[in-house]
Amino acid sequence: MDNIENQIFSSYERNPILYDEIYKKKGQIKKVYKKLFELYGKHSIQDYVNLNAKAKSSFFNQGITFQVYNDKDTQEKIFPFDLFPRIIAPDEWEIIEKGAIQRSKALNLFLWDIYHDKNIIREGIVPMELISTSENYLDQMVGIDPPGGIYNHISGTDIIKHNDGKYYVLEDNIRCPSGVSYVICNRTALKRALFGVFNHYKTYSVTNYAENLLDLLETTKPKGVDVPVSVVITPGMFNSAFYEHSYLAKTMGVELVEGRDLFVENDFVYMKTIKGPIKVDIIYRRIDDQFIDPLEFKPDSTLGVPGLFAAYKKGNVTLANAPGTGVADDKAVYTYMPQIIKYYLNEEPILNNVHTYHCSRPDELKYVLEHIHELVIKPVDEAGGYGISIGNRLTKAEIETVKKQITESPRKYVAQPIMSLSVHPTYIDESESFEQRHVDLRTFTILGKDKEFVLKGGLTRVALQKGNLIVNSSQGGGSKDTWVLKG
Amino acid sequence: MLARVANNLFWMGRYIERSEHIARYLNVNYFSSLDAPNAKSQDRQFVLRSMLFLVGEPDVDENVILKEQEVLFKIGLDTESPFSIINNVKYARENANSARDLISTELYESINKFYHFVLNYPSDIFLKNGLHDFTSNVAEMTAILRGKIRGTLLHDSVYAIIMMGVNIERANQIIRIINTKYNDALKAQGSYGDKFGNSFEWTTLLKCAESYDMMRRFYKKTPTSISTLEFLILNPNCPRSIMNSLNQVYKNIKILDPSMAYNKKSTAFLIGKVRAEYQYKYIEEIEENIQIFIEDILNSLNEISLKMEKEFFNY
Amino acid sequence: MSLEYSIVYKAENNYQNWVEQAHWQFLIIPEVNNNQEFVNIDFSNSVGATNQFSINGYGFKTIRVHPKQKFKNISFEATFRLIKKEVNPFDFNPSADIEQSYQKLNELNFKVDFEAFLKTTHFTRIPQAQKSMFDFEKDISIFENLQNLNHFVFNYLRFKTNVTDVKTTLDEIIVERQGVCQDFTHLFCAVARKNDIPARYVSGYLHQGNGYFGDSQMHAWAEAYIPKIGWVGFDPTNNLLANTNHIKVAHGKDYTDCSPLKGVVYTTGTNETSHTVQVLSQQQQ
Repeated sequence: MDNIENQIFSSYERNPILYDEIYKKKGQIKKVYKKLFELYGKHSIQDYVNLNAKAKSSFFNQGITFQVYNDKDTQEKIFPFDLFPRIIAPDEWEIIEKGAIQRSKALNLFLWDIYHDKNIIREGIVPMELISTSENYLDQMVGIDPPGGIYNHISGTDIIKHNDGKYYVLEDNIRCPSGVSYVICNRTALKRALFGVFNHYKTYSVTNYAENLLDLLETTKPKGVDVPVSVVITPGMFNSAFYEHSYLAKTMGVELVEGRDLFVENDFVYMKTIKGPIKVDIIYRRIDDQFIDPLEFKPDSTLGVPGLFAAYKKGNVTLANAPGTGVADDKAVYTYMPQIIKYYLNEEPILNNVHTYHCSRPDELKYVLEHIHELVIKPVDEAGGYGISIGNRLTKAEIETVKKQITESPRKYVAQPIMSLSVHPTYIDESESFEQRHVDLRTFTILGKDKEFVLKGGLTRVALQKGNLIVNSSQGGGSKDTWVLKG
Repeated sequence: MLARVANNLFWMGRYIERSEHIARYLNVNYFSSLDAPNAKSQDRQFVLRSMLFLVGEPDVDENVILKEQEVLFKIGLDTESPFSIINNVKYARENANSARDLISTELYESINKFYHFVLNYPSDIFLKNGLHDFTSNVAEMTAILRGKIRGTLLHDSVYAIIMMGVNIERANQIIRIINTKYNDALKAQGSYGDKFGNSFEWTTLLKCAESYDMMRRFYKKTPTSISTLEFLILNPNCPRSIMNSLNQVYKNIKILDPSMAYNKKSTAFLIGKVRAEYQYKYIEEIEENIQIFIEDILNSLNEISLKMEKEFFNY
Repeated sequence: MSLEYSIVYKAENNYQNWVEQAHWQFLIIPEVNNNQEFVNIDFSNSVGATNQFSINGYGFKTIRVHPKQKFKNISFEATFRLIKKEVNPFDFNPSADIEQSYQKLNELNFKVDFEAFLKTTHFTRIPQAQKSMFDFEKDISIFENLQNLNHFVFNYLRFKTNVTDVKTTLDEIIVERQGVCQDFTHLFCAVARKNDIPARYVSGYLHQGNGYFGDSQMHAWAEAYIPKIGWVGFDPTNNLLANTNHIKVAHGKDYTDCSPLKGVVYTTGTNETSHTVQVLSQQQQ
């Protein structure tokens, strides 16, 4: 009965090498997807064409857009949304959630350590170069105890499923991970388009993110503050993630400020309101370290607040995430995650790490240079999917260029085996049909003082170009609503 | 509320209101001139000059022959000209963008739709036969926005600031329209009796302010200079009148500054003072020297705006 | 015996057009340490803005100024009075066991402790070609090597003002072989670190009474860490060990961490700035 006639999937091509999220190996539909498959089958493909167009214009009208920068100009684009949701079964989610918390906690302890006694280095577990050659290690943070002991309040963990059916973490994002607003928008959009399907599933809500974020941020308020005033700081409306910044401020019920709305007096931070200055205690910042205070970091930055770092150093304001967290989402640190987890928590990693070759190590560099065609080469400090080379997609000339780059600055690169991201049926505009596309999952974890929260859902990102493995929105990716089922 | 964001909301209100008045002015003047009763009012050059006068870009050289398409494009869809409708809508949206966390999703969505409508309006169609469609849509959409402002926002300081922007701009635009039409009426005088007082331009003026029908109901006579000005300036029940705008501004500043204490430096005090002045004016006083009256009221409105900026938006 | 110092720091900025917004941070207050006792600070600015005393990211004392009105000209004047104890730079026993102290340099704990002052920074990067411009001799003490390095830098570079600026890096300095105290200090730190010795950039004031190079601006010198002895100051610009004439303000990895004046100024057009420093001393009993 599994393969009931299903009109909309009649032309769905399954590549047997790839791991398909909705099909079992032998071609039956997985249990969690069965009902959905059946329900979607009742619609005609024309219905999807219409629904898809409607969903698009709804996103556009709501202004849920991001800006894409290229050489010439900036363009306002919608983040393509796919109508076929991804479903995660309760047992699988449990692993993801526990694994994400485990990583966030371990990273927090790691950050505390490398900004205090540096025991993990003294004991030879990780090399000193992780901090001494990292551009994201801030010497100014040494010895500072961040309020509540938290560095990475918000972590975005990028997880994939390989063709062995296991989850692997691809990277931890603990600077200013973005995308959470899309999780909620996707849910809203799918509800509007196909509300009927929700009746058949018990899915966790995703709308409680902002309240949890505010709650947990407030557990890390500065000492001596009773009822903290929180704000979200944004680089401004021309930033690609501005929609998200305003969304978060709105749903948290706090002010969305720009650097020029704040000032520092006697090492306390104030915002300029129509009723005069109001002291600010917690800043959820969506501005990179180098831009937060022109008197301490990049002097030509107009995004930050002069004197902010001194206020932070004196413990008068909480910054989330703390400055200097970037050192721990360096891809070189990623490769030590199993050791880091073991060292601080005395636990085995719950989520797998992809094996990584460090080009800084001569023997591994040699391996990388000889096997480029079967590896993914990543710069250690670039975000957003920039600068990634996938070995088996490169021409001979390109391979030579990459080799040259690696040889010139080996510390800047790591390499990993080409992971085969799982695929998921995705509605494709051009062919007006469902096709297999690679997906990943970004989860959002919040750490507070003795409290943590993982958003039960996450951003399933889809590489919309056929065969493409890079799912970032800036590289032409889309996204799906992600359902975590109640057990 | 952040001072900067308050400023943005204020200007969002102003730009929304401004785009409506410009759009309606284009519409009414263009179409009523087509069958106006005298040659001057029908004259293309006359109408185009009047439009440029309104947006503050009068062409001083009377000998230049203006090209209709160029003028319409410049005021309607030219992104290069700062006063164009398209730019006003763009500014309205930019200001809304930075205050997005404070306004309702519904209001933002409508502003965004408005922006996309204007942005995507094909200029060739606009110039060929879209003037009416475009301008009446703009007017329509601003009406929707006013509805969303009233119906989906909490009537607190956010609302008060937007409404102050709307009403200060409305008073400004009405007075500018009066000024423009007053100039036009001087040039295109009526054919009988008091030629200036009976100019066809007074009817156009009322239509520009969407007040023609109500005015006819109220006075039951053909509009003259004196009845038109009285209605548009002093009648507190006419929603577009200067008096009503000042009343609204006063009502809203009291939300922002509820203090009853006497403070001659406050914006509320200044607004109250200006309002009281017009409340007890009669039209004959104004008619004695309309030009000076217009300058005075523009100055007062500007003073209110500056004072607000200093008191609330200083960041 | 101690010296009482009086230091006057003046800065003047003139702008062609109005400055609508400005923030400054001064890192000019003498540090309090075991040979510097702080007596008095007097700081003022010409536009009547409040002077906020604070700290920078490394915990050194700063003064921040943010005028609330627009201006075209602004000047600052600071006067510090402090007591400096007599410093004898040779007041220690050079380590008897030379081998042991070199071994210490290679211990992981030592490297971790001094990580910040062992790493290469933008201003302390020696070009590949000059990698071995000065190698330590392992049969003499670290202190002697550092003294030789001090001498080497002093001879290698010629003191000359206005040929380098705050952006000049070692690539250029090593080729041109001239510069000011800041460049001398960067070269000293870079070579010391290359030889595994923790070295830090120090900014401060130099009492000019003895005809030293220091061009009546703020001065810079270096401190190197010698196992079992501690931080020792070297002034490669003057081929000296830091002494009673050196009044320390702050230290850091390089100039970036110690820059005396940081500012964010919103204006257009050109501007002129000038700084002067005057150090006067008076002997105390």
